[in-house]
Amino acid sequence: MKVIGKQVRKVDGFELVTGRAQFAGDYQFPGMVYGAVKRAGVPAGRITGIDHEAARRIPGVIDVLRAEDIPGPNLIGVLPPFDQPILSAGEVRYAGESIVLVIAETAEIARQAASAVSVSIEPYDPILSVEDALRPGARKIHEQGNVTCAKRLIKGAVKTAFENADIIVEGTYETSFQDHAYLEPETVCAVPGRRITLYASCQSPFHIRGHVAANLNVPASSVRVVQACTGGSFGGKDDVATEIGSLACIAAQRLNRPVMIAHDRMESIIGSNLRHAARVSCRTGALSSGRIIAREIAVMLDGGAYASESPFVTLKTMIHAAGPYNIENVEVESTTVYTNKTYCGAFRGFGVPQVTFASESQIDELADKLGIDHLEIRRINGLKAGDPNATGQVYEQSVGLQDTIEQIAAQPDPAHRERSGFMEESTGIGGEGSKPLAGRYLYGTGYACVLQGISNGAEGVDVTGASVQMSQDGSVLVGIGLTELGQGSRTVWAQIAAEVLGVDIDHVSVRLVDTDAVHDSGPTVASRSTTVGGMAVQKAAVEVKKSLISMAALMMQTDGENIELRDGFAILKADDSARIPIASVATAAYWTGFPLMNLAFSKAPPANFDEDTHQGDIYIAYNYGTHRMDVRVDTMTGEVKVLKHLASHDVGKVINPLGLEGQVQGASLMGYGLAHMERIEYADGIIRNPNFADYALPSIKDRIPTVSIPVEDHNPTGPYGAKGVGEPPVAGTAAVFANAISDAVGFRFRRLPITRENILDAVKRGNHG
Amino acid sequence: MLIRFKCNGKAVQLDVEPEVRVIDVLRDRLGLTGTKEGCGRGECGACTVLLDGKPVNSCLLLVGKIAEREIITIEGIAGEDGSLHPIQEAFLDQGAVQCGFCTPGMVLSTKALLDENGAPDTEEIEEALSGNLCRCTGYGKIVDAVLEASKRLMQGTSHGGE
Repeated sequence: MKVIGKQVRKVDGFELVTGRAQFAGDYQFPGMVYGAVKRAGVPAGRITGIDHEAARRIPGVIDVLRAEDIPGPNLIGVLPPFDQPILSAGEVRYAGESIVLVIAETAEIARQAASAVSVSIEPYDPILSVEDALRPGARKIHEQGNVTCAKRLIKGAVKTAFENADIIVEGTYETSFQDHAYLEPETVCAVPGRRITLYASCQSPFHIRGHVAANLNVPASSVRVVQACTGGSFGGKDDVATEIGSLACIAAQRLNRPVMIAHDRMESIIGSNLRHAARVSCRTGALSSGRIIAREIAVMLDGGAYASESPFVTLKTMIHAAGPYNIENVEVESTTVYTNKTYCGAFRGFGVPQVTFASESQIDELADKLGIDHLEIRRINGLKAGDPNATGQVYEQSVGLQDTIEQIAAQPDPAHRERSGFMEESTGIGGEGSKPLAGRYLYGTGYACVLQGISNGAEGVDVTGASVQMSQDGSVLVGIGLTELGQGSRTVWAQIAAEVLGVDIDHVSVRLVDTDAVHDSGPTVASRSTTVGGMAVQKAAVEVKKSLISMAALMMQTDGENIELRDGFAILKADDSARIPIASVATAAYWTGFPLMNLAFSKAPPANFDEDTHQGDIYIAYNYGTHRMDVRVDTMTGEVKVLKHLASHDVGKVINPLGLEGQVQGASLMGYGLAHMERIEYADGIIRNPNFADYALPSIKDRIPTVSIPVEDHNPTGPYGAKGVGEPPVAGTAAVFANAISDAVGFRFRRLPITRENILDAVKRGNHG
Repeated sequence: MLIRFKCNGKAVQLDVEPEVRVIDVLRDRLGLTGTKEGCGRGECGACTVLLDGKPVNSCLLLVGKIAEREIITIEGIAGEDGSLHPIQEAFLDQGAVQCGFCTPGMVLSTKALLDENGAPDTEEIEEALSGNLCRCTGYGKIVDAVLEASKRLMQGTSHGGE
């Protein structure tokens, strides 16, 4: 293949390195004004009064909007139950909740005026833990109660199986809230008109269009959403973009002036969704051979004040909780609960990192009890083609887990440790010149396996529309409703179109997502852009190719099957020198009336499963992976140095090696942040660290030496056999870090993050012996 | 108050209050929107510009402080013919750009480093870029890009394989 599998530059990279790319905050329109909201500031209560007279008197203030000024239902949400107001009308359910929108001539005045708005709130006792929320007689955060969503997976007969187990291990594992921390805070810009236009930093433009239209009380076709260049999203720019997008549009129409709303960093942290904190109680039964025969898992997620994507996160954690293993008997209960905290929703990995940490920690604990090697126990139980997974789904191909295990096993053994236990002293690790002080350092190696469902699957219908258009000069324009968020999807789609049409990738453009011009493609989530999006681009390109081949066949007076498109030419297969430039073929095709544009659909096979037991076919494919991490722990400071991190993922087929490495390395550091550094801290329902001085985002000094080792086990449901990889390394890295640290210090941490302080504490208490 | 400074090689004269932030002057008055605001508190480095060749957070810098001095922004480092600077080329070739929001600041911090130290080692690169956060790449490819840019600049060429 000419383009697929080759290292190519990011197709939209030029604008980004030159500063010319237009992010939402870079748009300027004559007469533009700015919005800022007043937030609740208390986690729970009832609004008893709003006084905005002082705010209105500030020079430059133009308008103040309250809940009753919203023409539509004042509701947003990604999924039913749509339970989130844009501006609270009565109840306050979290401290970051928006109550009043102020519009002013400058952003500074708008902020100043928003803080001058006085909101009287009769406070309630906030519900700040899952236990409090579930306590009998607890105050109901929402009318329907405090359980957002609860689901159950039942496979086989767990109870009997545990009776037959030679060994049982159990434990409870916890993870903390994590912030997306994309470098660009959420920003939108609305331009009024008979048809309103919203330029938004966002992940799912069609979703925003629907909510804006509903809340403006106008038809969806009268709203145009254009995705501005988006500075990272990772699942985070969905609900919040509908919130501020709706607000900006409502204000713009009311004032007939363009309105920009841009969050500052604090608002980005307190006022948009986080990763769910989780408590996972896990029990595993095995035979003395190491064969796991039963797992029983209860997942409890703290979802914060609103549902957001909790229903799907609940489902995804449940399906993935038992890990990538062939286990006959599995029971999982997954529940998300409302609390008076910032709402939780989609975040790269979608619940899978939390349960993978729990599951993989326990696999190590089981192996230790059985005296089996950590990699061997994964080999014994790991899924193979033809094995039923936790939902009973069987894949006849593209189950590359065992290959990823062997890739990791084939790497040189850690030089510094025996196969079991740990050594307190070592020399020459990582090529360092000086010998460590005797006894100062502990070394450990961890392994973890992961799987992650690709595409929406059971979470929803999975359809993508993409268009491919060839101009008479042979250049190509791709249009698709999925969004480029930095992950490199545009480059992958351009590669696919270039490959099919035999043109240079420099001749392919991928247009901005504009809801006026591209087909609704569903949300950009679930590692589905390459897989489901790529299939649609491929199909559309193949249709355009048919026109070109037919035209070239007429021109060469031969049959189409004798012609191929390659290197910018239509070429006679039998005689390489008989060739016509694709531009000439395209021009002739146009004048002959052969269509040069096609809109194609990729529709994933529907999920087919039992709603009560969740047994059946859930996803079109899974990404599988195995990680290894070698760490050195400084017993004097608790500092961890990651000496080695190997991440082997079965991606079906590598489309863009550079992009793949970037996804694996970036997701890995995000998983490392979750495992070691990052934690949203609450005190009395207020986030205490809403900035980068207090929230420990990994810096370049915290980077880890991730090496990606791709495995290609052809996936029949993806373009050229590919499957997505954007999410799974988060889970793999979070889990492998915990296992490596436990191996080093000889103590099992059951809560993430495992911070430097936690490690130092454990070592000091002598827990490492 | 009339303030004079040099920006990307050109003399600028502006009537502006001295306590206005440099990032706002660049973005709102000069239309140089390549400088990005990620936190407004000097914690992320997205707004990095060069002041007399040194990297500074333009969100913490007041315009009164740059009178008679020279500012370089991301718009000012490509060649006059529009060709990319070797650092920009290296960032693209090495896959050091994902969402691109941190990229202008990263490129400028890199330029300040390489202007001072043409052949930095990994540790020096980490030190020089420690004020620039990136959430997408995991930083590995950014370090690769800086090393590659250093190599190309030492060789006096911006051409490199893909």
